[in-house]
Amino acid sequence: MFDIPQERAVPFGCATPAPVGEQPMMITGNWREYRPVIDHEKCNLCMNCVVFCPDACWQLDEAEEEVVWNAKYCKGCLVCVTECSHDALGKAYELDFPDGVVRLEKPF
Amino acid sequence: MAKEMTLSGCAATAQAVKLAKVDVICSYPIRPYTAAMMELAKMVAEGELDAEFIHGEGEHAQLSVVYGASAAGARTFTGSSGVGVTYAMEVYSPISGARLPVQMMIADRALDPPGDFGSEHTDAMSCRDQGWLMGWAESPQEAFDNHLINYRIGEDRRVMLPQFVCQDGYFVSHIPGKVLVPDQAQVDEFLPAYDPGSHVLDPKKPMSHGPQIRPDQGTIMDLQRAQAFLDLPAVVKQAVGDFNRIFERNYAPFVEEFMTDGAEIVFFLMGGHAATARHAVRHLREQGVKAGMVKLRFVRPFPTKEVGEVLSKFKAVGVVETSTSYGGSMRGGNLLPEVRAALYDAPTRPLTTSFMAGLGGDVVSLKDFYWMAGILTAAVQAGKVGKTVYWTGLEKA
Amino acid sequence: MAHVHEITIWTRGVVKDKEGRDVANGLARAADREGKFTQAFDNYVDLPDRVNVPLRKYARISDADIEMKYDYENEKPEVVVVVDATIVKGIDVLRGVERGGLLVVNTDRAPKEILKFIPNGSALKAIACVDASRIAGSSTVDFSGTEGGVDAVGLGSGIAAPLLGAVARTTGLVKLESLAAVVKNKRALQQGYESVVIEALS
Repeated sequence: MFDIPQERAVPFGCATPAPVGEQPMMITGNWREYRPVIDHEKCNLCMNCVVFCPDACWQLDEAEEEVVWNAKYCKGCLVCVTECSHDALGKAYELDFPDGVVRLEKPF
Repeated sequence: MAKEMTLSGCAATAQAVKLAKVDVICSYPIRPYTAAMMELAKMVAEGELDAEFIHGEGEHAQLSVVYGASAAGARTFTGSSGVGVTYAMEVYSPISGARLPVQMMIADRALDPPGDFGSEHTDAMSCRDQGWLMGWAESPQEAFDNHLINYRIGEDRRVMLPQFVCQDGYFVSHIPGKVLVPDQAQVDEFLPAYDPGSHVLDPKKPMSHGPQIRPDQGTIMDLQRAQAFLDLPAVVKQAVGDFNRIFERNYAPFVEEFMTDGAEIVFFLMGGHAATARHAVRHLREQGVKAGMVKLRFVRPFPTKEVGEVLSKFKAVGVVETSTSYGGSMRGGNLLPEVRAALYDAPTRPLTTSFMAGLGGDVVSLKDFYWMAGILTAAVQAGKVGKTVYWTGLEKA
Repeated sequence: MAHVHEITIWTRGVVKDKEGRDVANGLARAADREGKFTQAFDNYVDLPDRVNVPLRKYARISDADIEMKYDYENEKPEVVVVVDATIVKGIDVLRGVERGGLLVVNTDRAPKEILKFIPNGSALKAIACVDASRIAGSSTVDFSGTEGGVDAVGLGSGIAAPLLGAVARTTGLVKLESLAAVVKNKRALQQGYESVVIEALS
């Protein structure tokens, strides 16, 4: 009876599958003005950055024995830089890097 | 001297409430009406408005607080949007039945689910049987004016009823427009100090509110309010007439006609989308389509006589529905059943249909109005309507 | 219907929300003084803002009454103002811009540096860069005027002032004198107007 345009469609009862692992409908890398940069030499794997990051953007890679940064979602809050116990984290201006940000049409 | 300010609907509401010199305000935040309370809080904090500003713990508390304050003889103000309006549902009937002229601003918002901040009239319309006045503003100027007009009508001894003063969320509440703000002297001339009469709480004259009654008294209770609604139209006409005179405005009390001379098809609507409809009607007329617009200023009391008289002049009426009535007689919105009831006894009846439009905060564009005009024109040619409810923008071509 | 000039302003939530609003309101109030019909408003669904989220403010200027007042977005911006330069990297700020658009960016970097991050720059007639942050010295963080409220602290105390000067110079949509009448920091406004670097693109 009706023509519902795809971009306006809504699921039944507005119940949507919950994101697992990441939420591709809300990529937040473009919230950054500054990004954290790590000096792995100084890092002692205290895991403060992993624990404090509000968006789980530092993860421990057990095989490499390093913490790995998630450029796609990091919002640049820099809490990790503040909480780093060994001065391994600093900040750098996002425009100093040619890539690392998913370019979106709209905020989300 | 009136001064011109650029104000959103929320800010215009705050200016009107300040000039009305309210005694008690109860706030609780919900988007999009919140800015009105933000503005009033600033005015109270800076000494521009001498009022008790109470923060309720929810919308039910908001209405309960102003209920108590009004019961003690205060001029009160509160407000909400969307599910906030329905959260306070329990308190609306007690306030109107107790004949307390509380005023509530509703910057309407679509009801959950899920979260949608956009405008839809369903939140307020869900409460239309509670015995309150209800009407929509098209612009920040009309929102400002309606607040003062409603205090005057509601507090009239012949009426003594609370009022929902509504405006479209975002479209009117957030988008600024030019507002002529009068000075205090002009407002005082129009709106006298609130004199509640003898049924309010006063330590010098102890009263009980809300005692238990027997079932055989229940009908009498309801009849009291029904009677007030019968007396209401005369008070509305008087108040709007005085308002127009003092503030140099030109409001029709109930039903405004726009370019209806010689019109064959009209849009019937209330609220902010009337602003776009006016442009659409002008453009349609330029194309040779005999279109017009009829805007409803009060949905409660529904001006049955005026609506019947005005709409029977036309060949087809398209009711623009910005609220939903699931399972209702028309399976669409709330206005078409009322319009058809108003026309039932009219000597000549136009064709009537309805267009669901602007729900959820959807924009109703000029193209949408042209599409509606096409449907109405085809109906006139065919001598009957295709169906009674069209979902604008979603019908299969 | 008379032409409506659409100006879209990209800014960052909370920390630069007031600045974005000041740019939109500044343009509209200045154009009001020149007898134009104007609108200035926030993008409704980008709010409520969170710290640093990219979000939009809009201004519209026309010689006649604006008929589609309620459109939620500027579909065809002629001018895009970017209050925080890093936004150009993560948002297609030129979406909807037809040929001959103008881009004004608050940055201390040269236009060429900024253009590196914009793959669809061919839509532009010119790009303008102004170091508004340095000229103003500080940005204003304030919720005054948000969500339809009345701005009680005045506009143009922060980086919006030099940005507005740069917009006036780049676009000619409003006169500098009109802006000077509505902006608080007139020195910064003037400096933005004078120091903006405008690079025409072929």
